Amino acid sequence: MKFAWKKILPIGAAIIMVLLLIAWGWTGLGTASFVRTTLSGLTLGSLFFMVAAGLTLIFGLMDVLNFAHGAMFMLGAYMGWQFYTNPTFIFGISPLIFAFASGLMLLPLIKPALIRWEINSKLQQNLPRIAYALALLMIFFAFNQLDIMGLADTAMVAITTTTADNPLAELSAQEPLLRFWVRPALMLVSGALIAFATAKPGDKTEFAVAEKTTQKWIIVAALFVATVLLTAFREALPETVLLMNGNLRFFLAMIVAVLFGLVFGGIIEITLIRPLYQRATFIVLMTLGLSFVIREVVQVLWDPLAYQMVRPPFFAQPGKAETVLEWFRNGNSTLNIFGVTFPTYRLFIIALGLVMFIFITLLMTRTRLGMIIRAGVQDPEMVEALGINVRQVFTFVFALGIAMAALGGIGAAPFIPVQPLMGDQFQMQGFITVVLGGMGSYVGAFIGALTLGLARAFGDYFALKLSLSPAIAEASTVIIMIIVLLIRPSGLFGKKE
Amino acid sequence: MNAFTTNQSPQPLLSVENIQTFIGQFHILEGVSLTVPANSITVMLGRNGAGKTTTLKSILGLTPPREGRVVFDGMEIQGKRAFNIANLGIGYVPENRAIFRQLSVMENLKLAERKRGDLEQHADFIFDLFPDLKRLYKLPGNHLSGGQQQMLAVARALVPDNKLLLIDEPSEGLAPILIQQMMEAIRKLSATTTVLLVEQNFIMASQLAQRYTIIDDGKSVHSGLMQDLAQNEELVHEYLGASVRTAKSGGEQ
Repeated sequence: MKFAWKKILPIGAAIIMVLLLIAWGWTGLGTASFVRTTLSGLTLGSLFFMVAAGLTLIFGLMDVLNFAHGAMFMLGAYMGWQFYTNPTFIFGISPLIFAFASGLMLLPLIKPALIRWEINSKLQQNLPRIAYALALLMIFFAFNQLDIMGLADTAMVAITTTTADNPLAELSAQEPLLRFWVRPALMLVSGALIAFATAKPGDKTEFAVAEKTTQKWIIVAALFVATVLLTAFREALPETVLLMNGNLRFFLAMIVAVLFGLVFGGIIEITLIRPLYQRATFIVLMTLGLSFVIREVVQVLWDPLAYQMVRPPFFAQPGKAETVLEWFRNGNSTLNIFGVTFPTYRLFIIALGLVMFIFITLLMTRTRLGMIIRAGVQDPEMVEALGINVRQVFTFVFALGIAMAALGGIGAAPFIPVQPLMGDQFQMQGFITVVLGGMGSYVGAFIGALTLGLARAFGDYFALKLSLSPAIAEASTVIIMIIVLLIRPSGLFGKKE
Repeated sequence: MNAFTTNQSPQPLLSVENIQTFIGQFHILEGVSLTVPANSITVMLGRNGAGKTTTLKSILGLTPPREGRVVFDGMEIQGKRAFNIANLGIGYVPENRAIFRQLSVMENLKLAERKRGDLEQHADFIFDLFPDLKRLYKLPGNHLSGGQQQMLAVARALVPDNKLLLIDEPSEGLAPILIQQMMEAIRKLSATTTVLLVEQNFIMASQLAQRYTIIDDGKSVHSGLMQDLAQNEELVHEYLGASVRTAKSGGEQ
């Protein structure tokens, strides 16, 4: 067939070129330098991909350029790091969040009944306003005099004391339960009030059907049970976490970062982005502003300092492992690969990037959601006309993109300093990656990220060897982008307009 | 489908009452009313740009009407979101077909499922109407010809249990032999569902439909039984002059 050749030719040419580059690099640089530089490049590329994957998904489906992506990468790192070194902060706040969420999730359950409610138009207008005002007042009282700063402060204790001897030493005392329980209760009621107000009671123009009610009740009930448990055990849980095996704790920290990203991304999409879909430039300004807000809040909570997260024990044992098996047994910090001593944690980052790529590929090609996303990229209106709630899909994809950035953040935390600006350079490289790979293509993001990571690493190597300015390495990614865009204006895997 | 009871009910399946639709600041529909009785084919006629496509989109909520009422199956649906309206049992075949190019034929059909198993349930009926689709099942949407895309677009609307199909210009840009095939398919599927059709090809429209509504300049100006319209040459000339000429010159286009 004719079109088959058109497809195979560029791919074949690319493979041959890559093989030639490898052969040339291997012989020219010598095994040791080549392997080390390649692995460093793959590590960087893997981190670039974690940022770019979310950016490209979000841009592809809803044409939103998220300039707060780097800030969310950073927030993910902070949340995971907090959970890993001192979970008091997360467990101190979470009862309030869960209580609020369980109140809010009543919305789809009460809406069908509320909109059929017969009330006069004046009441119909004022009732939601009163409910909103009451809810805000309750939220104020729920957080009033809550020692958030104190909870965040314990994180700084955690890095000054040695965790090995007595991990519980840095846990700060929390409010007694007898006083504390009022706060989640207030949040629960305020969440329910906001649900009541947004349901627009008595509004005949609204539309809602009561479907899947059991499923929705189960969600509310589960959130409520979680709230009660988190409230009751909010002092015991941080202790339990700190006494856990470090590897398990790190794994849980990654899950915490992902969950945080999903929830935070969902909230941002619904409250800030959804009202602005008609005005694309406003979204850019809004997300840019949001990134500043997030950064400032983080600086208030944790001071504008750089923290070094301790590596999980699996990657911490000093000394070199000669084989992978030895590393798995002892948890060495470095591993011998072709005679090169390479940090094992960086191998983990490469693996994490690969896992994420496989996850996205499976999601996009094997699931109904992936099908909806691929269709929605082309024509969201027709997807809606088929009876699919496109708005909900947008929210989920945005949340997913943020969750991936947050996972990248906690993944990077033991490798680079945790500080308020840590996401910025990754966001920049992420955007370059997305443009290089083709807007909206996750395969393009993967190939692009690896290309840029390798370019960066080899740029550094040659800059050092030929005593050039290290700026060459930084510029190399932009130079590659320019060359690719000159040849293919829509990027490597972009669709032709 | 319970054809007997729906036939007996005095209410039409769909009735549109004096809807006003704006796109941006343009007043596109300035009062369109029409009724679609159950188990029949109703055709919307009118010149290009008269507002036929916008009427379909207004019914479905893709361009929600600012005023007026849309009643489907006894329920007021104006102002509801498009996916909610579609889920009440309305299938849409848009003018540009809107086949998802990145998805295979099978995925295009799968996507239209409202509940698991919809496709398996209706697969025989669909392949009976459009045998070609079976052969193209694995092909990506961007490899289909115009006619194949049109078949897929209609087939997609048949995957779930729809009570009403909104079909926009199914004959546009098709070769005469394909127009015949499409006409046959629409006639067959109208045995089980109700169809609201937009059609420029007057011959095709007059052979298929039982009822008509003429839209002119964003207003519905005339409606009635198709057999009456076919005899009323004056009316046809007044509103559909151009399209009748196209129809009379037949397949030369």
